[in-house]
Amino acid sequence: MEKIRIAKVVLPIVLLGILLVYPLVETSQYYQHIMVMTLMAAVMASSWNIIGGYAGYTSLGHAAFFGLGGYLVAWTHNEYGWHPFVSTWFLALVVAGVALAVGWIALRTQGSAFVVVTIAVIFIFRLLALNLSAITNGAQGLTQPRPGWGGVQWSPELMKVPFHYIMLLLLCLTIYSSWRIRQSKFGMGLIAIREDEGKAEAVGIDTMLYKVLAFGISAYFIGVAGGIYSYFFTYIDPGFVFDIFVSVTMVLIAILGGRGTLWGPVLGAFIMQPLANWVVSEFGGTQIHLTVFGGILLFVMLFMPQGILPALNEFLMRWNSKTRSASAN
Amino acid sequence: MTIPSFHLFIQTLILGVLVGGVYALMSSGLTLIFGVMRVINVAHGAILILGAFITYVLFQNFQIDPIVSIVITMPLLFGVGWLIQRYILSRIESPEQTSVLVTFALALIMEGILGAIFHTTIRSVKPDYATDAIILASYRFPVTRLMGFASALIVILCLNLILYYTNIGRAIRATMQDPRAAQLVGINVSKISAFAFALGVSTAAAGGSLLSMIYSFNPSSQTDWIAKTLSIIVLGGMGSLPGALVAALILGVMEQLTAIMITLYWSPIVFYFFLFITLIIRPQGLMGEIIREKG
Amino acid sequence: MLITENITKSFGGIKAVDACSIEVKQGSITGLIGPNGSGKTTLFNIITGFYQPDAGSIHFNQQPIQGLKPSRICHKGIGRTFQITRLFWKMTVLENLIVPVKQIGWRTLLSQGVKKHEEEHAMELLDWVGLSQYRDTEVRKLSFGQQKLIELIAVLMSDPELILLDEPAGGVNPVMIEKMMEMVEDLNRQGKTFLLVEHNMRLVMELCQHIIVLDHGQKIAEGIPSEVQQNPLVLEAYLGSTQNVNAGA
Repeated sequence: MEKIRIAKVVLPIVLLGILLVYPLVETSQYYQHIMVMTLMAAVMASSWNIIGGYAGYTSLGHAAFFGLGGYLVAWTHNEYGWHPFVSTWFLALVVAGVALAVGWIALRTQGSAFVVVTIAVIFIFRLLALNLSAITNGAQGLTQPRPGWGGVQWSPELMKVPFHYIMLLLLCLTIYSSWRIRQSKFGMGLIAIREDEGKAEAVGIDTMLYKVLAFGISAYFIGVAGGIYSYFFTYIDPGFVFDIFVSVTMVLIAILGGRGTLWGPVLGAFIMQPLANWVVSEFGGTQIHLTVFGGILLFVMLFMPQGILPALNEFLMRWNSKTRSASAN
Repeated sequence: MTIPSFHLFIQTLILGVLVGGVYALMSSGLTLIFGVMRVINVAHGAILILGAFITYVLFQNFQIDPIVSIVITMPLLFGVGWLIQRYILSRIESPEQTSVLVTFALALIMEGILGAIFHTTIRSVKPDYATDAIILASYRFPVTRLMGFASALIVILCLNLILYYTNIGRAIRATMQDPRAAQLVGINVSKISAFAFALGVSTAAAGGSLLSMIYSFNPSSQTDWIAKTLSIIVLGGMGSLPGALVAALILGVMEQLTAIMITLYWSPIVFYFFLFITLIIRPQGLMGEIIREKG
Repeated sequence: MLITENITKSFGGIKAVDACSIEVKQGSITGLIGPNGSGKTTLFNIITGFYQPDAGSIHFNQQPIQGLKPSRICHKGIGRTFQITRLFWKMTVLENLIVPVKQIGWRTLLSQGVKKHEEEHAMELLDWVGLSQYRDTEVRKLSFGQQKLIELIAVLMSDPELILLDEPAGGVNPVMIEKMMEMVEDLNRQGKTFLLVEHNMRLVMELCQHIIVLDHGQKIAEGIPSEVQQNPLVLEAYLGSTQNVNAGA
């Protein structure tokens, strides 16, 4: 048990160390790119985890906030010259605000009805993005200038490096927030809501308030990620971001790693993102990557719905008690 | 916003009702499955598209009329639905929570396979009468829509006959009302669920066949269709078949009116709008049961 | 302390509660009895905010509470237990005691999950019922009777003035019932008011100072135990249905 506790502290530090030096060691742009995407996937899954894992409300609509962040950043960059690395942190507050409003409506429903409503949110956003073309440029989307700073473009070899570090910063912030929430009364309340919402309400937890807050907070980090993403690809269009698949990916990652745990989503991201990259590069022309994702999701939901980390935890605990009783004999 | 002339208004109503009938067929399976199993089958849109593609293949290669192909798609997908329920859905522990993700996984799997086979090319089925219309009192009744409406009504009628005049139908209705009571009177709820799921899927197959000649589609259309059919059953009341019919007609008409009065591109918003409004103001929809809050 | 006036609630055509007006006096232990289906739990659910009444009003300490959310009603000082014990099964005993929230404040939300004084209060209550050794055990691993006790003391954590108990003796062995009765009397002496729904007649007759009888959603009788026991309307309501009343058990 002690070993597990030590591992819980040491492993993240080791991971952080590796991630800090990664772009300096791994100079291949291709692998730097994958790492940026992996970090982003970890951010999105961990953020989603706040409403989907702690509170147990499976939202398939968070892609809407991802896209909204991306569009806000792209638009303000083109209109006012705001640099995404700065603006995204503030614009994501707008995204969170929108999420609070959306959540206030959507969270009146529960269970499968809630999932349905969140899917509808993505459709509405996509429809808006397609049709309000005066602002969003419709189906053609928005492009941004090539990444740089202060008017100087970054050289192609080093292009990915700043993105790596800002994504790493975002991930650290997300994990820290997730951790603080978990430790707080707010977090306990969310978990109580997940366990038995009626009972939680009966013992004095204002479930609507807690849920809406969690929904809004979970949208913030995803919004930041979306903003950085639109700059990373210098391009954003409605189909790109307002896609259920984007939501499903972050949900799958969180569930695979362990929904409701702190590190599960991160673990899930480090497994799924490289895998996803490989699948798309192998079979990208066809749509078969959808089938692979669907297959993995199906497998996880049927055979290990609690995810890897909790399963691992259980295994270790059982192994621990076995060795202890063995040594006692 | 353009106010239509009286003639255009009536014409739009006609089109709306005709297409509403097909929508009703498409949604009835979804609401049936929910009523019996309390599962929202998010793969429903994918089933519709699968039915559409099968119809397409039958038409392209064997010149089988899309309406005739219903005779093939329904039993075929009945079998598929039965298999899905028997070997996948029955394994789920807490169906209400996890079924959405499981059925969504199935939808992804299907979309991927269809995409691999058919690519993203947009397709539609164009029988000889595709552009024909019957003119009655100066109003256009497109043949495809008319045949679609008629076929939809026939299938819905058959569904009702099964539900109200057969033993198994009665068992389904009993399970919809109270699964535990149904078990107590000797109904094998898991077999009934399998049958109901398969039945729901097969009506979607029929809907897909009709879809193929009225709309254009490709594998990724499935997400649009699940959004539409879900909106319909929510408005009608989840688990209520008559509700689905009424809601389908309403939404069919509203969609056409929006297309005429605003633009075609905004017309999908009708569905999402009603979905939201219903869930906020009257969650049980027009004809659904109030789900008692667990105190 | 608690007054309901003409509370009515129907479910799809059936009147579960029909123009029900009851009063619970401060400091009392009031019993709410009646055959199955007479509307007792529905009334509880309405009082605690889980159902909205179709008509009528409820006042708690002269403040109207009908239509409020259950969490608001909890903060006003009403606590309840459930007919079928409801706990956060995967949480530990201690966590179940800490989760109840006495009031809402932004600082409270972000603050540390388990505070020192809360932990002390929880341990006090656990000691009182003799379950402190189970502090870190998941509640689902406890016995049924222990779970019922935990549910009861968890309610006490938010220090309610009025406590609604829904069939506290349901499925519990006689020794435990004795213990629960002592606890209720103890708490009552300390100033807590009780309204309890119960089928165990002995418990009701011994514990309650005032009894209200419901049948088919309406109040048909009330008074002190001895009066109610002999009231012909009450006897008819119980014996007329297929209920067996354990008058002496």
